[in-house]
Formats: sequence, structure tokens, C-alpha cells
Amino acid sequence: MTPVYMAAGDIPTPHIEYGRLAPVLIVLGAACVGVLVEALAPRAQRYGLQVLVSVVGLVAAFAWTIALGIGDQPHHVAAMGAVGVDGPTLFIQGTILVLALMSMLLIAERRHEDSPFTAQASTVPGSPEERESLVAGLVQTEIYPLVLFAVGGMLIFPAANDLLTMFVALEVMSLPLYLLCGLARRRRLLSQEAAVKYFLLGAFSSAFFLYGTAMLYGFAGSVRLSEIAAAISKQGGDEPLLLAGVALLSVGLLFKMGAAPFQAWKPDVYQGAPTALTALMASCTLVAAVGGVLRVFYVGLETLRWDWRPMMWAVAILTMLVGAIVAITQTDVKRMLAYSSIAHGGFLLTGVIATNKAGLSSTLFYLAAYGFTTVGAFAVITMVRDAGGEAGHLSRWAGLGKRQPLVAGTFAFFLLAFAGIPLTSGFTGKFAVFQAAMAGGAMPLVIVGVVSSAIAAFFYVRVIVLMFFSEPLADGPTVSFSPATATAVAVGAFVTLVLGVIPAPALHLAQSAANQLFVR
Amino acid sequence: MTAADLVIVLLGVVAVGAGVLVVATRQLVHAALWLVVSFGALAGSYLVLTAEFVAWVQVLIYVGAVVVLLLFGIMLTRAPIGRSEDLDSGNRIVALVVAVATAGVLVTTLVRGFRSAYVPIKDRVGSGSSHTLGGSLFQTWVLPFEALSVLLLAALIGAIVLSRTDIGGAGPEPEEEEPEPRRRPAAPRGTVARRLGTARRRATPDDEDTIVLSRVDEEI
Amino acid sequence: MSETHVLAEGATLNSFGHDPWWIIGLKALVVFVFLLLTVLITVWAERRIIGRMQLRPGPNRAGPFGILQALFDGIKGALKEDIVPRGVDKVVFFLAPILAAAPAMVSFSVIPWGGVVSIGGHKTPLQLADLPVAVLLPLAMASIGVYGFVLAGWSSMSPYALLGGLRSSAQVISYEIAMGLSFVAVFLFSGTLSTSEIVAAQAHGTAFKVAGMTLHTPSWYAVLLLPSFIIYIFTMMGESGRIPFDLPEGEGELVAGYHTEYSSLKFMMFYLAEYVNMTTLSALCTTLFLGGYRAPWPITWFWSGANSGWWPVLWFLIKIWMFTFFFIWLRAALPRVRYDQLMKLGWKVLIPVSLGWILFVSVVRALRNEHHDVGPIMIVAAIIVVLLLIASFLWERVSASEAQPEEAEAAAEQDPMAGGFPVPPLDAPHYHGVGNGRAPNSAEATRA
Repeated sequence: MTPVYMAAGDIPTPHIEYGRLAPVLIVLGAACVGVLVEALAPRAQRYGLQVLVSVVGLVAAFAWTIALGIGDQPHHVAAMGAVGVDGPTLFIQGTILVLALMSMLLIAERRHEDSPFTAQASTVPGSPEERESLVAGLVQTEIYPLVLFAVGGMLIFPAANDLLTMFVALEVMSLPLYLLCGLARRRRLLSQEAAVKYFLLGAFSSAFFLYGTAMLYGFAGSVRLSEIAAAISKQGGDEPLLLAGVALLSVGLLFKMGAAPFQAWKPDVYQGAPTALTALMASCTLVAAVGGVLRVFYVGLETLRWDWRPMMWAVAILTMLVGAIVAITQTDVKRMLAYSSIAHGGFLLTGVIATNKAGLSSTLFYLAAYGFTTVGAFAVITMVRDAGGEAGHLSRWAGLGKRQPLVAGTFAFFLLAFAGIPLTSGFTGKFAVFQAAMAGGAMPLVIVGVVSSAIAAFFYVRVIVLMFFSEPLADGPTVSFSPATATAVAVGAFVTLVLGVIPAPALHLAQSAANQLFVR
Repeated sequence: MTAADLVIVLLGVVAVGAGVLVVATRQLVHAALWLVVSFGALAGSYLVLTAEFVAWVQVLIYVGAVVVLLLFGIMLTRAPIGRSEDLDSGNRIVALVVAVATAGVLVTTLVRGFRSAYVPIKDRVGSGSSHTLGGSLFQTWVLPFEALSVLLLAALIGAIVLSRTDIGGAGPEPEEEEPEPRRRPAAPRGTVARRLGTARRRATPDDEDTIVLSRVDEEI
Repeated sequence: MSETHVLAEGATLNSFGHDPWWIIGLKALVVFVFLLLTVLITVWAERRIIGRMQLRPGPNRAGPFGILQALFDGIKGALKEDIVPRGVDKVVFFLAPILAAAPAMVSFSVIPWGGVVSIGGHKTPLQLADLPVAVLLPLAMASIGVYGFVLAGWSSMSPYALLGGLRSSAQVISYEIAMGLSFVAVFLFSGTLSTSEIVAAQAHGTAFKVAGMTLHTPSWYAVLLLPSFIIYIFTMMGESGRIPFDLPEGEGELVAGYHTEYSSLKFMMFYLAEYVNMTTLSALCTTLFLGGYRAPWPITWFWSGANSGWWPVLWFLIKIWMFTFFFIWLRAALPRVRYDQLMKLGWKVLIPVSLGWILFVSVVRALRNEHHDVGPIMIVAAIIVVLLLIASFLWERVSASEAQPEEAEAAAEQDPMAGGFPVPPLDAPHYHGVGNGRAPNSAEATRA
């Protein structure tokens, strides 16, 4: 045995807190099991097994998250400082897991043996091979592990305690989503276009993120958020490296959120992607992205807040206005909800700007409330169908309230929640966020927020009027019920109502989660 | 200025010059080759900075695999010898302005940020060794490292989803019995040449090219 | 033979970087000349040996035993007309042969061909250069060499050459992965990536205990890490692009593959690259698996000076030539595989087996680092492996016998005289190596 060999043994084993990382590990483990199922199980059983694995994985991870939350006061860094396990993170992770579970109901939907995803992704749209694969009843069951990979990335993203982990998590969550966007069963060209657009712009924003990370590393000598904060308070905040780094990093993060002026991908992607996946992106990805934004700005750049606040003010105002105003001209339901999601991103940013406990807890509450409502709304969209698939164009929804009062009523309820009408969760969320922003001295922001809410309410109400007060179309869309989707809609509506009528328990939960802020 | 300084400046000039040529050349394959030169010069810079492991891995992965696969893709789709006139975009003036402005901002920032920072290489010999690198990868960065392997797995699955045509291949399940009389057999896996043969056999002359390409793309 | 004596002779990383410039220059020159001479001799030896194996004399006119034949062939080849086809990309066309030949030569610079010797009063290791990550250099150079093939194929405006170039790049990249993986176990055991230290690490086996007995593991990694060695041998064949893996230039399908359009000196460069590559791969294998320049054990028993002075060069050359002979022997003995078989072997056999083996090796290593007794674990693992092998063999047999009737049926469907002409079946199950693919009958084939 040579001395060289002995020297090789001196890298100590890293210390990993498996218990605290368990939710992430369970989801990623379930994804790996899904890959094995894909490789080993006979084709006929794969669908059932995959759904089982995914649901069990998500439920188990959620249960573990709750156990972590009620066990001890969670306020630790884990895995050699790579992730933080603390109140806000657990709240965000729990929200992501529940919303992913709801979206999974839509993803796993097989309406008349008809999955929302393409039968065989490799076939050229419109080709005979595509027709054959449809006739043969093939299913692309690889989507389940891919969804789980994405969810795993979403869980790491808001927990990441350094920018490198955050970047890797960003990619883990984005890459499967890029792909899944292109797998719609109907209107495949549109879907593939959405995927390419999302991929290109996403890769671009990742480059921004990386560049910002590199500059912050140059400034602080570390990518760890706490050390960046320490370096800022030590060296002062007017270094060009620091400011350029913060700007580039913010571009990367705000892109993922879909905040203006980086919102361009959102309508196209939300429209082109399979609606079940749009539900996942609109809820879970947004929650994860806002979680990441919160952590970066609350932990890493907190001491620099007087420098980034003006920028974030501008972004928030622009986002709210663009989302609300452009939505008015939309004629496609999914596009309209995409712009509504942009506007909501703006409302969320007002909570971020507050940089205090109230801001954090109200943002957390808003995220949960908005997530449930949006999954429910997209679930309703999957139910209203034409011969060629979902009835996307708004004119097709005319008079739906007279033919299908229950479905149209639920959708109207979701829209009212988006608009922030009292007795819905949207009202409570907005109220909390604006209150926090006001306490943080951001009065103009609140005014812009209220104005853009009013603008947004206009087009939500317009859809409601269209559904209930115009004549039904002769060949109007039908509503196809199925247990899974109906469950998702029901849960979404129930939570939207409960958070609107008796918000105190959920608000209290968010407050206690935000009590200690993020771990450093 | 020491010899190392001089070498790194020269390598930087080569890297940047080759990078400019990647964008400026009108020949598709030459662009890929200039990219190789740029990557190579970068590897040289790593060597000068005593990061030997990173340097050779740069050659191995970027020069040896990534660009070769890029070339592979170009050659299987279209790789004309000589100039292609359609490589220019109408936005090239705007692109130039944006690129120069970005480069200006970044370079100014970096110069201002690091002007006073100076680390003598001699003190840091061994800081780029495989031992140091392994130590930091498997100690501090173990979680991102493992997450990266998850990312690669996801990418692998994604590539399979996008490219595999034979998932509908005749299997034992009844649902996959021949649905219509003229069903074609699933494309067999095989060589590029065999793919060419398969596609030719299955297609009419008109759509031959597109089918060949779609089949061949999957091999990459 | 005392241990200190042997260790003093072996070079380590510290032995490098002290040479005067003329020794470095001399070493570089020697490496270059050695490689050129080896190519000449290998070409001659190959023709003689293959001749013998095919019961014919081989070249025997030029010089004693025809030994000058390769030299004359080389001169003739270089003096031939240099044809540059019309429409080629001239720069790349010229660059490609250089890109193929130069990296193969550079790789040799990290190969140790002896211990520390004294040249003109300077103590110097018989090795041009060593790095802490030296083994990565041959891998990196092999991947640069790919450019030679792929660019030659592209720039010569010929579909044969293009397909040959693409095939070769795909082949080399695929086999390089498995090759890199086969090195990993060596790195794990030697704890270094430096070639001279890997040779030093193979000087002695490690002691371990099985059931109370103290045993010494063999010192050569070829024995200790047999699976890695076998995988390397396969990948070596794949990397060199020689029979049975000479698909890139399969003359039956692609004329001469990527160098179809090349002539004269440029063609000779490709020729040179192939043979230099062969030598480099043999030398690398010797270094990593066969104890490098160290004398094999029966000799060291009765001759303690076998590893001192210039003698190691002799052992090194003997080991290299064993491999070269092996290459030639295979060429005489084996047919060419099909391209899909090649890829299947690379991706579905060599890489997974490598990964599994690395996993096993690192588990053993980790257990030993924590001072567990690995003897019983190894025995259990060996039994499990044997059982798995038997099970998979039986499974193959069972599934093969199940598949047979289907194949017979498919064969019966084919009409050998479809359309009035004798046609071979276009797609038959055995082309894929399995019996479950449905063979289209020829009626369908003619319809398309």
C-alpha cells in the first residue's frame, strides 16, 4: 500500500441530515422508482404503478414536512450548509407538495382513456405514425417521473442556502418542465412551440442567474447567502460587482416568476402546454420561484435593501399593470389566466418588498391561497371541451352558465377570488399583502396594486357576464366530468372559500412559520 | 509581467478572437471549429492557473464530446461546404450593439471589481488539484452535486421521451395488436446507414428527406 | 530484493521538473523517433504475422525478412500524386490528417518507459512529462483525434467519407466513456492519476486476511481489477478502430471510410495515426494494468537488479509488443462486427458493467478504509455474481427456446423471389438480435 493511497482517504464524509432533507429525498426517490417502473414493469401496468408511486411519494413527503414543522422549532441549515430548513421553507414546501398533488390529479386524468399528454412524443404532428400511436392507445408514462423530478427541484429551490444549490435546483425544476410543455395531446405544434420558447428563454435567464452568481462570488468570496449578507454589511453596498451581480441575479429570479419585463414567455407557455401542466406551473413553479426570491432578498440581500428597493418597486408596479391591462385584450382563457398570473406575481412582489415579518407571512399566505385557486381554475378549463379538445377561445364559453350552472358558477367563483372580492381567499391574501406593504412604507405600491386589481376585476367580471348573461351557443362545448378533475376543482373551491371566510387559522400558520424568518 | 501573465493574456486573446469568429464566420462547420479553438484556449488558461484537472476535463468534455456532438448534429442535418448566405440575421446590427454594450458593462464591472485583487499563482499550487476539487465537491457541495446527477437523469429520460419511436413496437400486450391493416413496423434501432435504408424503403421519394432527417436525428 | 531499493528506482511526481532543457528535448525526440520506428516495424510485423497465420510468407524481398518493405511502402506512398478532390473545404481537408496524427503522438508523452536513470550526470525519469492528472491526457487527446476523422469525412465531399467519419466519431466517443470508466477502479486503488505513481503503486500487492490466512493481492491491476482490464481491452479495440471494430473504414460498405478521398502524404498520416494509436493504447494499458516498466514477478524473484538502470525499458517494450501482437492476432482471427452490435456492446454491456464494477470496487474500498474485514464480503459477492451469471444464462436459454417458433414462422413468411427478383429479407428479427420484432413480409416491402 503506497503512502499516496493513504492520503486519498483523508476527505471526511460529509454530514447529511437525512431526516431534515427527507421531503426532497422522498420525492426524488419516488422519481427514481418511477424510472425503474418505466424500465421494468410491463407496459400495461405502468400507468397504474406510476400514478401510485407519484401519489404515494408526494403524500409521504407532505406528511414528513408536517412532521418536521410540528416537531421542533425548525431553524437549521442542513447538508453542509447547502439548504436551510426553517419555518417559511417548510410552509412553502408543504404548499408545493399539496398543489403538486392536486395537479397530479389532472395530470393522471384519463378522460375516456384520453390522457392530457401525447401518446408518443417522438412522432411528427400530423404524421401517420402519430395516428397509429393514438389508435394503438399508447401512453407516455415517463411524464410521472419527470413531474416528480420537477417537483423535487421546486422543493430544493426555496430551501437553497447558497446560490449554487439554487442554480442546480432551478435547472432540476425547469428542465423537466421545458420538456413536459411540449407533450400536449392536442394542438401539438402550439405545444412544441411553447416548449421551445420556454426552453430558449429559460436557458437565457439561467445564464443571467449564473452570471449574477459569479459576480456576487467575486464580491463576497462565497456563494453562501449568509456570507454575501455579511460581506455587504462589512464592505458597504456600492461596489459595482455587487450591484451588477444583484441585477443579473434578479433578472434570473424574476424571469422564473414571470415578472415584467421578463413575462413574455408566460402567456405562450401557459397556452401551449397541456392544461394539467399549466396548472402545475401556475401554482407550484410560482410558489417555488417566489420562495427563492424571498430567500435571496430576505437573507442574502437584506442589508442592501435600500439599493434594490427602487428597482423592485418599478418591477412590481410594471408587473401589476402589464398583467392587468394586457389581460383585457385576451380572447383565450388560458392566456387570460396567464396574464392574471403575471399580475398576481406583482402583488406577491409587494409583499417581498416589505422585508419584514408581516411581509413574509402575508406572502406565504397569498402563495397558498393563489395556488389553490389557480389549480382549481385550470381544472375547470380542462373540463369544458369541444370536439377538438379544450374550448380555449372565450367566445366558446358564452352562455355556459345557463347550460352548466355548477361548473360555470365554480369558475366564476375562482375568477372572483382572482379579482380579490371579499369572502374569497383572494381578498384575504391581497389585504394581508397590502397591509404589510403599507406597514413597510410602500404606500404608492399599494395604490397601484388596488388600481390594477380594479382593472383586473373588469375582465374577470366580463368573463362572468359572458358565461351567465349571453345566449348559449348551439354547438357549444360540453362539460366532461370525471372524478379526479372534479376532486381537484372541489378542493380548490373549498380552500378558496375557507381561506376567504375563516382565514384566521391559515394566517396564524403563516405567521408562526414566518416568525423566525429564514435561517442564515 | 511574468511569463504566466503573458501566456494567459495571449490565451485570452485567442479565446476571445475565436469566439468572435464563431459568430462572424459564414461557414457553419467552421463556426463549430472556432468554438473548439475557444474552448481549447480556455483550457489553456486553466492550465496556467494550475487547475490541471479542470483543464483536462474541459478538453475532454467540451472539446471532445460537446462540440463533436454539435458537429455530428450539423453534419446529419445540413453541413454545406463553403459559405451559407442565410446564416446572417437581419437583426445583426442590433445584436452587435447589445453584445458590445453587455461586454462593455461586464468588462468594466470586472475590471473595477478585481483591479486591486491579485493572487500569486505560486501560493496556490495544488488548489486546483483533483484532490482539492474532490474534497470540496464531496464535502461542501455534496447536495448540489447529487442534485446535478438527478438533473442529468431527468435530461436522459427527457431525451428518451422525445426520441424513442419504438415504444409502440409490437409487444405482447393485446392493446397493441395491429389496429389497421397497413400498419408499418416500428423503426428498428440500427446504424445511420441502416436508418437511411429503412426510411427509404418506407417512404415515397417526395418525403424522403424529411423522414431521413427525423429518423437520423434520433440517433444523436 | 529490498523494498527501499525498488522504491528508490521508481519515479514519482517529484522527480519531474528538474531536467535541463536538452534532456527534455532529447526525450521528446526519442519519443518521436521511437513512435515512427515502431510504426514501420509494426506494419511489417503485421503483414508477416498475418501472412504466417494465413499460411503464406508475407513480404520477404526487401531487405532481410522483408523488413524494409514498410519503409519502401512509406516512401512510395509519400511520393504519390496528392489528389485534392474538387469542391472540398481545403483548409479543413489539410487540417484533418494532422488532427488525427498529432494527438496520438502527444499521448505518449505521459507514458513512463523506465525508472530514474542517469543521463550525462543528471538523474532523470524515463518519461517525457508527468502531471497529477496525467491519465486524463490520453483520454483528452483521443477525443481531439476524433476531429481528424470527423473533419476528414466532412471536408472531402463524399457520402462514403461522411458516413465513415460519423461512424468513427460515434464509435470513439462511445468507447471513450467505457474506457474512462475502466480507469476509475485503477484510480481508486492507486489513489492517483499520475502515470508514474500508478506504476509505483503496482510494485507491491496489499496484504489482506481471508479466514485467518494472510494473503497478498497480486500487484498488477490486470489481475486485481480483472473486469476493468477486460473492459479496457474491449475499449482499446474500439478506440483504435481496428478489426473487429473497424466500422469507420469498413471497406465492404464505405470503400475506405473517412479517408476515402485522401491520397499520398495525407493518407499516410491517417495510416500513421492508426498505428501510433495502437502503440499508445498498448503502452497505456501496460502502464495502468501490467505494472508499467516493472519486471514481471518470476524475474524479480531471482534477479534483484531487474528494475534498476535501463533494464525496465526492455520489460516495457516486451509488454507493448505483446499487445501489438494481440492486435495483429485479432485482426487475423476475427470478422468485423455490425455497427449496431458495436454500439450495443459499448452502451449496453461495457458501460453498465463498468458502472457496476466501480460500485463494487468503491464499496470494497470504503469498507477497507473503515477497517472492516472485506474477505467474507468478497466471497459472498463472488458467489452472488456467479449465481446471477448462471441465472441469466438459463434465462437466455429459456427465452431463446420460447422465441424460436416465432422466428421460424417469420422466416416462412418471406418470399425469396418477390417481384421476380431474388431479394434478401430487408428486416428480419435476427438483425436485432432478438426474436420479438415482427418481420415485415416482402410484399409489404415492395409496396413501400
